[in-house]
Amino acid sequence: MMGPNIVWYLCVSAFLFTTGAAGVLIRRSPLIILLSLEIMLNGANLALIAFSRYHGTGDGQIFALTVMAVAAAEVVVGLGLIVAMARRRLELDVDKLRTLRG
Amino acid sequence: MSAAAWICLLAPLGAALAITLAGQRLSRRGAGYLATASVGASFVAAVVVFVLLLGDSPNNREHPSVAWHWLTAGSYTFNLGILVDPLSTYMMLIVAGVGFLIVAYSIGYMDGDDEERRYFAYMALFVFSMLLLVQAGNLLILLAGWGMVGLSSYLLIGFWHERPEAVAAAKKAFVMNAFGDAAMALGLFLLVQQTGSLDFGVVFPAAGGLSPTVANLVALGLLGGAVAKSAQLPLQTWLPDAMEGPTPVSALIHAATMVTAGVYLIVRTNAIFEAAPTVQEVAAGLGAATLLMAGLIALVQTDIKRVIAYSTMSQIGYMFLAAGIGAYADGMFHLLTHAFFKALLFLAAGIVIHALSGEQDLRKMGGLRHKLPRTYWSFIVGGLALAGIPVFSGFFSKDPILSSALAQGWYGEILWVVGMVGCFLTGLYTFRMIFLAFWGEEKDGDLHAPEKDVPGISMGVTVAILTVLAAIAGFLQVFELWTPVSNWLDPVAPPLVVPTSTQEVVSSLVAVTLGLGGIGVAWWIYGARRAEAPEPSKLLEHKFYFDELYDAIFYRPAVLLAHGLLRFVERPLVFGSLRELTQGVRELGTGVRNLQTGLVRTYAFAIAASLAVVTLVFVVVR
Repeated sequence: MMGPNIVWYLCVSAFLFTTGAAGVLIRRSPLIILLSLEIMLNGANLALIAFSRYHGTGDGQIFALTVMAVAAAEVVVGLGLIVAMARRRLELDVDKLRTLRG
Repeated sequence: MSAAAWICLLAPLGAALAITLAGQRLSRRGAGYLATASVGASFVAAVVVFVLLLGDSPNNREHPSVAWHWLTAGSYTFNLGILVDPLSTYMMLIVAGVGFLIVAYSIGYMDGDDEERRYFAYMALFVFSMLLLVQAGNLLILLAGWGMVGLSSYLLIGFWHERPEAVAAAKKAFVMNAFGDAAMALGLFLLVQQTGSLDFGVVFPAAGGLSPTVANLVALGLLGGAVAKSAQLPLQTWLPDAMEGPTPVSALIHAATMVTAGVYLIVRTNAIFEAAPTVQEVAAGLGAATLLMAGLIALVQTDIKRVIAYSTMSQIGYMFLAAGIGAYADGMFHLLTHAFFKALLFLAAGIVIHALSGEQDLRKMGGLRHKLPRTYWSFIVGGLALAGIPVFSGFFSKDPILSSALAQGWYGEILWVVGMVGCFLTGLYTFRMIFLAFWGEEKDGDLHAPEKDVPGISMGVTVAILTVLAAIAGFLQVFELWTPVSNWLDPVAPPLVVPTSTQEVVSSLVAVTLGLGGIGVAWWIYGARRAEAPEPSKLLEHKFYFDELYDAIFYRPAVLLAHGLLRFVERPLVFGSLRELTQGVRELGTGVRNLQTGLVRTYAFAIAASLAVVTLVFVVVR
């Protein structure tokens, strides 16, 4: 059971990761940034699983599961923050949140 | 015997601690009574020691007593020990006896002062320190007592600490004494290095075996300490200023006991001084120079206490002279009579000052003999004793010193002449003071309206006792006819010189004539006012410019140096480098602050970019 060459997997993974990264850097809505972060994580997950298959061990898959758990937690916190912002009727724009400026 | 000696030593310390710890729980009066009682107990214990010592054979009267090993350093051990011998017992009797009278007098004198408890605690501490000094069994303990009397003196001179002059005088006394303490400590270092011990019993027999250089250096160190403590040339300038303290303090510390510690030291360490005859001659010369100089300055002083202070300096000059030429017992006898008549003069002056509500200026006094007749007679007795007029105590103690000087070759003859001039000056300045204060017209004003003659029992009775003692104490030793004092002290400090009868007769006749002459001149000018008082010379008014000299030699250069260091070292180097350092850190902080934009996306970009750079580096380097 060989499937496509690993290079294809890694290409897709890299594409997903850069797409996500670009989204994080460019977009200003916290919701979209969270989505983009998820895409980055999933890109990384894809690479982990691809290597796991390539080497024939389960380590990468275990890592991917851990990343998913962390991602879930992160989404909970992130969405909670967004809900809090919405409740206080703050504009959903990360560039407006500059209180921590030095 | 040892037990009594320890009680004598520790009773005042106990009182000082009790007064300090009890604080407000003890009434002010109670503190005075407690201090007086403790010093009285010391005196009783000293008398017991004396009586017990009398029972021993004259050459077997040394009783060291060690409480514990104090410290061990290498092969040296030092004991916390006391020595009971004729000399220390003699001093114990003087210190505790006169101390008792003066502390009792203080109850009346200090009545109503805000800080009586502190005063009596200090007084008790002083008596303890002085007893420690005279009872010490080795030179280290002696040095400890030496330092502690300096401390008590400092505390008591500055007792009225809200007066800047008092604080300055206290500091001056302390610094001057610190010079002496340092000199003495250096001498002792050398001594312990050479002999391996500081115990009297070891050091004194070994003193003869020291090389002349070492003996001279050690004796010079000890002399330095003695000169500072006893206010002799060239460290004499602190004593007149010390009169800023309360009058009983002047009487006890700066007349009767502490300032005579230098004489005690020379007599105690006579073995070391005899190994260094040159230093002994220096001591005698310094004493003579001081007695002359102080006598001259006393002539122009206008403060009643300062006249007596300079007279103290002058009389201690006689004692130094005696100790320097080896007439130890004569010096110690003069110490005893001086303690009586000088304490008397100070305490009587205290009554005058009290009666005039604090006035000390002789020029504003006058006619007091009608208002204070009993104090006037006390002054007369004290003055006659001081001037060495027969039957009063000073006559019997001062003249043997002078006749001993006459028996000491050409150097002694010079000293004898100086001492004789001193006799004349003594009569003159003493009776100038008495005539100015007690004769003449009464001056007007509230200041000069003493309320009553005898100011309470504690002051009146003590002055009366001292008057009697000053009058009759001379009969303790009448030349060579009756010599209990010499017999008592000679085993400890055998005299180097014994005058002949002719020399004694000549000395006494000349001294008494000159003393009477001084009194006569004083009467002519200040009593009868038959002649105009001469203008005081600038040299004398400025006390021979010693203060100015020390100011120019030590104080000004030190201040200049400090200013220079501040300006050229501290400000540019220390302050400058610190300023630069803080400036740099602050600028760095301001710069770094700009990095924190608060924009999440810049942080994300920074992370992504640096990650990209790291990746590139990895790839390229491989």
